[in-house]
Amino acid sequence: MRRILPALLALAALALVPLASPSGYLLHMLIVVFLYVILAAGLDLVMGYCGQYSFAQGAFYGIGAYAAAILHRDLGLDFWQTLPLGVLSAGAFGLLLGIPSLRLSGHFLSITTIAFQTIIYLLLTQWTSFTGGQYGLPVPKVGTLSLFGHELFRIEKVREFYFLALAVMAVALLVAWRLAASRIGREWRAIHDDELVARAIGINVTRDKLVAFVASAALAGAAGVLVAYYLEGVSPSDFSIWTSATVVAMVIVGGRGTILGPAAGAVVFTLMPEVLRATADYKLIIFGVLMIVMVIFMPMGAAGLLRRERS
Amino acid sequence: MALLECVQLSRNFGGLVAVDKVDLAVEAGEIVGLIGPNGSGKSTLVNLITGVVGVTGGRIRFEGHDITALPSWRIARLGIARTFQLLRLFKSLSVLENVTLPLQPRMASGQAASAFGRRRAAEEDRAAAAKGRELLAFFGLVEFAERPPTALSIGQQRMVELVRALIVGPKLFVLDEPAAGLSPPNVERLIGLIRRMRDEQGITILLVEHVMKVVRELCDRIVVLDYGVKIADGDPQAVTNDPRVVEAYLGGGRAQPHARG
Repeated sequence: MRRILPALLALAALALVPLASPSGYLLHMLIVVFLYVILAAGLDLVMGYCGQYSFAQGAFYGIGAYAAAILHRDLGLDFWQTLPLGVLSAGAFGLLLGIPSLRLSGHFLSITTIAFQTIIYLLLTQWTSFTGGQYGLPVPKVGTLSLFGHELFRIEKVREFYFLALAVMAVALLVAWRLAASRIGREWRAIHDDELVARAIGINVTRDKLVAFVASAALAGAAGVLVAYYLEGVSPSDFSIWTSATVVAMVIVGGRGTILGPAAGAVVFTLMPEVLRATADYKLIIFGVLMIVMVIFMPMGAAGLLRRERS
Repeated sequence: MALLECVQLSRNFGGLVAVDKVDLAVEAGEIVGLIGPNGSGKSTLVNLITGVVGVTGGRIRFEGHDITALPSWRIARLGIARTFQLLRLFKSLSVLENVTLPLQPRMASGQAASAFGRRRAAEEDRAAAAKGRELLAFFGLVEFAERPPTALSIGQQRMVELVRALIVGPKLFVLDEPAAGLSPPNVERLIGLIRRMRDEQGITILLVEHVMKVVRELCDRIVVLDYGVKIADGDPQAVTNDPRVVEAYLGGGRAQPHARG
């Protein structure tokens, strides 16, 4: 309970932001932050908790986004229908990427996830007839949600989309937190520490790892559907290895295996380039240096350091 | 019918035959010692029985069921618990979480029920924690329940490993060098504990050990391996006086040209 209350207060504070009639720029930045919070919290499940280093979160993000765009184009589905389907598509690909993790570990698994990320990116750019290639695909506005002919709410302006993104992020964080805090989260941490012993005490490591990959990818899929509708279109460049690497950096710098740490990492890494506008060209260098410094001096990240100070 | 039965069990690593056609039977309620010089295949045999490494040849039966091809987590769920030669506790879990983890896969409510915060799952988790605390208290470790295992001494960590194995009420408990790194008073305590596991809870014990005092005081029967081959099997007195066993440990009349490690 003592953790739920601050979380609710933070969400309430974020929900009040649009009432202060802020600039569109601030709302835009916060929406981007929310998207990355979902991606980082999702990656934390598979990487921070389960210990499987994945550089493919950007690919799952892209699968969710393209699922939304293609389902709209071919079947005319709207946001409310593509959100669950985008989550399912990304989850299914997560299962696919989880399979090599049963045989590979450490660097070899990381390389496989990079290969997966690269293949998805190439498909998005090269399979022009299906994905629209470099030009991408258009996506409409979210529009109205109607139930039995009554219009419940309308999402057209940035300000309206802000609430939608905030709500999806809240649900995503709730899912990640429940998984991490329940039995499977404990089993993931055990697998992360010592896979062989986890097996020897009766844990079904195979199933647990697959669940981690699926859950992580499914959350990225939700962020993907959101970004597709937010930008009213999808294009491959948003889903490249750079996105994946940035999310990895968010998780490591924020603190592996804490959910809130990677969420904080997402905030910092999304806002930092905006604050340091002048150094935009050196963004990746700064990210890289920051990550090396963190790994050497704070291997468990900022959240890990806080936890140690407290105990 | 023996509780555990290995028939012509073999394991090769490349050209090296680590375990060579070993027949081993452990009766229910027995304490069997498994000894042999370094590199004689004791740990490999333990890893074969617990499914950690695969079998090259032969069969393993537990309570009459063939478990040769089962993965280690299934073997564990059948009631074979083990400890490891080197301490292997989960560092990111608390002591209590370490010892209650093996109960999780055996609970009636599933992982999903736990993630959804269902009452039945929460009750089972509470019951598991209570059981964990009770066992930790028995070992005098309950005050460390919420601490990470690294906060404990080596001897205490070994006890936590024992609790982690005992909490599920195993039928067969395989201990891989439990006395390694323990101080003499702790070795005494360990001997007492292992005896109580068998006498009070009827747990069958297969004990790999280097400390001869432990083996002599505890075991009903001793099995000796040398270069992966079983060279002796019988009561402790007879086995420790067996000339072949003495030779395996101390070397024969001539110098051994090969190092064992």
